[in-house]
Amino acid sequence: MAESTAGPDAVPPEAGRRDFLKILAMAGGAVGVGSVVWPLLGALTPGAGGKAQARPIINVSDIAENSAKAVQWAGLPILIRRLTDQQIAVASVVAMADLPDPAEVSSRVAPGNRHFVVVVGLNTGIPCQLEGNSPTDPRGHYDGWVCPCDGSEYDVLGRVRSGPAKYNLAIPRFTFINNNQIQLG
Amino acid sequence: MMRRFFASLLAGGLLAGVGAHAQDTLAPLRFQSDGVFGSIDLAAAQRGFAVYQGVCASCHGMKALHYRDLEALGLTPEQVAGIAAGVKLADGHAATPNSRFKQPPLVSRGGAVPPDLSSIVAQRSGGTHYIYDFLTGFGPAPAGVTLLTGHSYNGAFPGGQVAMPAVLHDNAVAYADGTKATTAQEAADVAEFLTWSADPNLSTRHAVGVRAVIFFAFLVIVAVLTKRRIWRERG
Amino acid sequence: MRVEAKQGWLASRVPGFTCVRDMLCESRSPGAPWLATLPTLLAAMLVLLLASGVVLAPFYDPRHAYAALQTIMRDVPGGWLVLSYHQIGASLAFALLYLHLFRILLVRGYRAPAEFGWMLWVKLLVVLLLAGWMGFVLNGGVGGHSSLFNAVNAAMLLPGIPGAVAMWVFGGASGGATLARLLVFHALLALCAAWIILMAFAADKKARPVLQGPGVPFWPIYAAQYFAALSVLALVFAVLLGFVPHWGQGTQNTIPAATAVIPAAISYPWYLTPAAGLAGAFPGVAGHICAMILAAALLYALPWLDRSRGARHGRVYMALTWLLGVDVLMLGLVTAFPMGGVLPKLLGLWFYFHFLVLTPLVTMMEAA
Repeated sequence: MAESTAGPDAVPPEAGRRDFLKILAMAGGAVGVGSVVWPLLGALTPGAGGKAQARPIINVSDIAENSAKAVQWAGLPILIRRLTDQQIAVASVVAMADLPDPAEVSSRVAPGNRHFVVVVGLNTGIPCQLEGNSPTDPRGHYDGWVCPCDGSEYDVLGRVRSGPAKYNLAIPRFTFINNNQIQLG
Repeated sequence: MMRRFFASLLAGGLLAGVGAHAQDTLAPLRFQSDGVFGSIDLAAAQRGFAVYQGVCASCHGMKALHYRDLEALGLTPEQVAGIAAGVKLADGHAATPNSRFKQPPLVSRGGAVPPDLSSIVAQRSGGTHYIYDFLTGFGPAPAGVTLLTGHSYNGAFPGGQVAMPAVLHDNAVAYADGTKATTAQEAADVAEFLTWSADPNLSTRHAVGVRAVIFFAFLVIVAVLTKRRIWRERG
Repeated sequence: MRVEAKQGWLASRVPGFTCVRDMLCESRSPGAPWLATLPTLLAAMLVLLLASGVVLAPFYDPRHAYAALQTIMRDVPGGWLVLSYHQIGASLAFALLYLHLFRILLVRGYRAPAEFGWMLWVKLLVVLLLAGWMGFVLNGGVGGHSSLFNAVNAAMLLPGIPGAVAMWVFGGASGGATLARLLVFHALLALCAAWIILMAFAADKKARPVLQGPGVPFWPIYAAQYFAALSVLALVFAVLLGFVPHWGQGTQNTIPAATAVIPAAISYPWYLTPAAGLAGAFPGVAGHICAMILAAALLYALPWLDRSRGARHGRVYMALTWLLGVDVLMLGLVTAFPMGGVLPKLLGLWFYFHFLVLTPLVTMMEAA
């Protein structure tokens, strides 16, 4: 086929075939070098260990009702609380007008697992770690978390209810991989 | 003449390497992972994990492995999460897919410490077949052999007696895929599982190797033809 | 042309650049044999070793060496492949260097004016042997660990401040601190090897006879030959990588050094076995050390041990050189598969006898 592309008289068929061979050799060389170098670059991308660190899996089955768990993730304290049916009922009847930063219950709990609240445990006013997670901590007037630095109070869903803070607690990205475990990130 | 000498030297070295591996196939049993083109039998390795988890794990750790690594055996992330959730770690919490395999409490049987099994197939000469032979090698001591206290007779073990008792027996585990759990089947499955754990990339390596050899063989032909043509015309 | 003007600009400011450009672009004598590509193939392997070493280094942990290698093989994406690049690259680099050195011996390419090039190749051998041994130790397996243990003990016995080398080079008893040092030396030696091979290329170019008549250009004549040789090397590499990745790498490093196992005989990678065999030719630790230094010194001094003063090849010399090749090969084999007896010692001593006695004698007789 290389011969047929060459002109009938202008170029001897030999030259056409050589050009084809040369192009083939060069292309092959490029593919060869590329396929050797590619794994070297690939090895520098995050591996299973790095991914596990970036997106940790947390067991939530061991959290009792009305108690909570705190984990560190990406330098942030993540608070996970399991609510009682009564707490959800109380939280759902709060009028939106009473909230500084109105948010429905459905927007604050995990879809499909309404009993779990997962929030970043940092006050939205003065950045300060919240209290209310461990059983001995004060939980404030709204049964949620309080800020020991500026006195802001949050309810069980992490919605701000009083104090200098103006916004609800941030919700990190997470998914339930089954009923017992959530994956952050 | 020199050229031919070096070529034969190179070929001889390669053949010797291939020969050393091909010996494995002489044993009575054949594993899918045997030989230079072998690959891991995923179904067998999954059953082998069940045997490890049900029998071996009470004494032997596999600290190089995480539960998430089992996804490479064809288990879904949900199945792996389920397996991990069923394991209670030493700190009392359930394992997650990112946990390393649970370390058994350190037991010592008269000074003999059960070895970690992560790379055992690479560490024992005979590899996969040795593991099978060892696990099926227990039996009554022949006349004239005096066993040390707490030791069992095992024909495959160097020295003939080992501090580990015979642990595999028929129906030691119930296989999820309905395979009949005979002692030999369990031993073969666990051997395949340990082959995978010692070299998780065995299948990939062989697949990559076949593709690379075909490609570079083709490139050698093209390159040598190109060189000869160029040299004939200009050299 | 613009490109030429640019090259001229660069060449007038960077002396090394002219050197590299000349190496590639100058006219050469036609019809160089395939074996003349060995140094280039070796350079390619060194580049691969450097590149894969750079990728491996961030994942290596001298204080948990074995676990770090397990992580590289199991958790780093494609880490097993990069590790194989490094291991098989080392294997092939040694194979190419040994072949090249043997070829120089056969064609007597070490004589003036090429003796400086020869000395550089010997230096490269010494540097690669050291780096290769360190790589073997850095695996964190039982084999490497017991070899390191022996080396530290030997260093304790060196004259001078008691244990100076052992303390300052090895950082005391063999452990994580030692491996941390060896990792740095391993990398430094790799850079040294890169520098030495560039120097060797330059020296060999200077030693080439002046072209009689028109030469042939590098492109495309020699480029095609190098490319073909490289693809053959790549094919060999692919076979090793895919099907016998651990061939000749020593069998003991699969077992972590932490377990208290001391092997009866250390199973070295194949490329260290001739050197280990030569060291064993003299008794005692001091003997081993002296033997290694003497072997390197003899190779280094070969241009002066050869008394032929430019005479043509003699048949006896050729026969003796082939015998030496067989001797070194056998020495490697009996070190890899220890058999006891007097044969390993004899094979080792033959090497010294060859260079100290036979070479001066035979070359003098054949020149006369």
